[in-house]
Amino acid sequence: MDKSKITERVVKVTCEVLGVTPDMVTPESDFVFDLGAESTQSVQLVAAFDEEFDINMDAEDALEVQTVGDAVEFIEKYVNKK
Amino acid sequence: MPNTTKYSVETIPGGYPRDRIFNPKSVAVMGVTPTPGTVPYDIFYNILASGYKGVLYPVAPGKRSISAVPAYRYLTDIEDDIDLVVIVFPANVVARALEQCGEKGVKGVIIISAGFREVGPEGEKREEEIKEICAKYDISLVGPNCLGVINTDPKIMLNASFARKMPAEGRIAFLSQSGALCTAVLDYARSRNIGFSKFVSFGNKAGVTEMGLLDYLHQDEQTDVVLLYLEELRDGRALIETARRVTRGDNPKPILAIKSGRTPQGADAASSHTGSLAGEDAICEAVFSEAGIIRTNTIEELFDTAIMLTSQPMPKGDRLAIVTNAGGPGVMATDAAVDVGLTIARFQPETTKKLKASLPAAANMKNPVDVIGDARSDRYEAAVGAVLEDPNVDQALVILTPQSMTDIEQIAHGIVKVRKGTDKPMACSFIGATDVAVGVDILQAAHIPHYIMPEWACGAMADVQRIRRWRELPEEADYQPPQADQKAVAAIINPAPAGYLSEDRALAVLEAYGFPVPAHKLCCDADEAVEFAERNGYPAVLRVVSPQIVHKFDVKGVALDLADADAVRSAYNNMVSHIGEAMPEAEIKGVLVRGMIPGGREVILGAKHDAAFGPTLMFGLGGLFVEIFKDVTFALAPITPAAASRMVRQIKAFKLLEGARGTGQADIAGVEDYLLRLGRLVVDFERIVELDINPLIVGPAGEGSNVADVRIRLSE
Repeated sequence: MDKSKITERVVKVTCEVLGVTPDMVTPESDFVFDLGAESTQSVQLVAAFDEEFDINMDAEDALEVQTVGDAVEFIEKYVNKK
Repeated sequence: MPNTTKYSVETIPGGYPRDRIFNPKSVAVMGVTPTPGTVPYDIFYNILASGYKGVLYPVAPGKRSISAVPAYRYLTDIEDDIDLVVIVFPANVVARALEQCGEKGVKGVIIISAGFREVGPEGEKREEEIKEICAKYDISLVGPNCLGVINTDPKIMLNASFARKMPAEGRIAFLSQSGALCTAVLDYARSRNIGFSKFVSFGNKAGVTEMGLLDYLHQDEQTDVVLLYLEELRDGRALIETARRVTRGDNPKPILAIKSGRTPQGADAASSHTGSLAGEDAICEAVFSEAGIIRTNTIEELFDTAIMLTSQPMPKGDRLAIVTNAGGPGVMATDAAVDVGLTIARFQPETTKKLKASLPAAANMKNPVDVIGDARSDRYEAAVGAVLEDPNVDQALVILTPQSMTDIEQIAHGIVKVRKGTDKPMACSFIGATDVAVGVDILQAAHIPHYIMPEWACGAMADVQRIRRWRELPEEADYQPPQADQKAVAAIINPAPAGYLSEDRALAVLEAYGFPVPAHKLCCDADEAVEFAERNGYPAVLRVVSPQIVHKFDVKGVALDLADADAVRSAYNNMVSHIGEAMPEAEIKGVLVRGMIPGGREVILGAKHDAAFGPTLMFGLGGLFVEIFKDVTFALAPITPAAASRMVRQIKAFKLLEGARGTGQADIAGVEDYLLRLGRLVVDFERIVELDINPLIVGPAGEGSNVADVRIRLSE
């Protein structure tokens, strides 16, 4: 899967879970500082990305990811391993 | 308003809190979430619910509103000026939030979030980063890792904390390093109808510290008493300087403190007496004593004294009158009062006459006055009124036990009436719980301090006496520090390696600073020892000198009371031979020969370079058992003559120095002078990490003292 496709789907999931609009989401957006993710929502995001991409990310490492761009890179590694 | 330029973040370590932290016209909370029961939400809601008089803005990215208040994505989106920002974001984005505060020109910030210095190296790095941002934008910071700030002033009504309820308005300010303790204290205080002026949890003290807060509260018109809970004392010297400013002078305010961590730590590793006794807590005690801070052991004691201070006038003396309807509690109260240093007042004849006129013949007209078990309100009013009118009485304690005929409610009202007619302080102890509750409520509503047990009232009254005496101490005049030959000491210490100085060199250091060191010589063979002893006189003493031998007695490295040349020769040879066999690794530099020191009273003078407090002095009863009796006091060096005098007088064994059982007074003035000299020595030479003069044998007044043994340990 190419990166732009992954980015598109990451943005879609982020908007669904956090209740934000796509125009608020950029690669630099910090899930907490820019998009207002609460700690429980961060856990929900990891689960939603797993489901969206049919992967099984290391939850501890995934929760360390702070920005949307970093999430795309992180997910890309799992997707390309499949 | 306090002068915020005088004690700015640049001039006081940790910083002076800007007034806008307590009195903001507008507050923004950064990182608010819409979930009740979470810290980010509750902080916002508490400000809203406390009836805050300013304007409140939630900064909640991705949220349209919080509790029906329109929310902002970024702080910089708010058009108005913001006085105070409360940051509740997780630690990893706090720096970014703080940068936005700086960009917006915000000068007051509270960081509630945890995850800084308290969690280890990663957190320490984060804390350094936020300190840098605060310095860059001149931000006054409370926290991080704290509960927040409360101001009960009706003009502000700010509860920027996650405490469950806004406390009642009062005259007590509470400062705490522990956030969790704050909530417990608030709950406890509510049960005793205690209100607060300000409530501050300052957490990691990355910005504003207890020193800055104390200076601020000194000027705060809503505050009469400051309570302080500390877990660590990072700068004892600054605390002394600040607290002395607050507790004395034109506008004195008492400071009461609890410092947790009384258990000594690190003592095992110390090899000197001073090192083992001068644990952090002992030095804290010295800091509090020098600062005029009253230390209590429990939260209950803290408030016992605080309510006395905030509700009653300062007594003019320590003479106490007790009025009771039960003999036993009256005697218990008398014992407790005497134990804590209060004086049981002796009534004037006029007072006894008044008591006789209003009490039954079986009553006790002397102090403690017993109005007898069947006393009703009239007797209490007459007795309490009479004792408080007595010029020999400075304060009164009224005790009641609930008996079947005791009209508790009426008696409480009667006491309130008497209290209104006097300018002397009073406390009550209605002993019990359920039956007396109605009376206690009346007393508390009239701001008369009540204690379940009379002993607790006596404890609070004794603390008030300590505060009164502290205020009455004369200001210390400037003094000339003792003369000393610094060059001679530098020549010994500078080239010396880390570890213990040999005894001859340690004695030379003391000599250069004017200590009474007896004539001595380091001798390298028995002939030289005999030659010196012949010249110096008998009886003689031999002491082995070896870098490997610290405890000389343990290896038979000391020979005492040698009467002639033969005895000296024989002792010298035996000593060298014994140590050679028992400790072949010990390098014997020689044997120090001196005369026997005449008997006297043995004291210890010690010093330690403490990592947190710097050079610290110890004084106490000396000899072999110093660590068993622990009769010692501490002070931060250098000291003044008044502090030296206090140190000497604070030990229990001072009576021995004053003269007991016909021994006459010892040379106390000399001891005070040596403490001043020791203070100067350890300040002048930071490499001295431990120093014990044990014992200093103190002769009769005017006849001086002698250093019998000394150990000096140097750092790298």
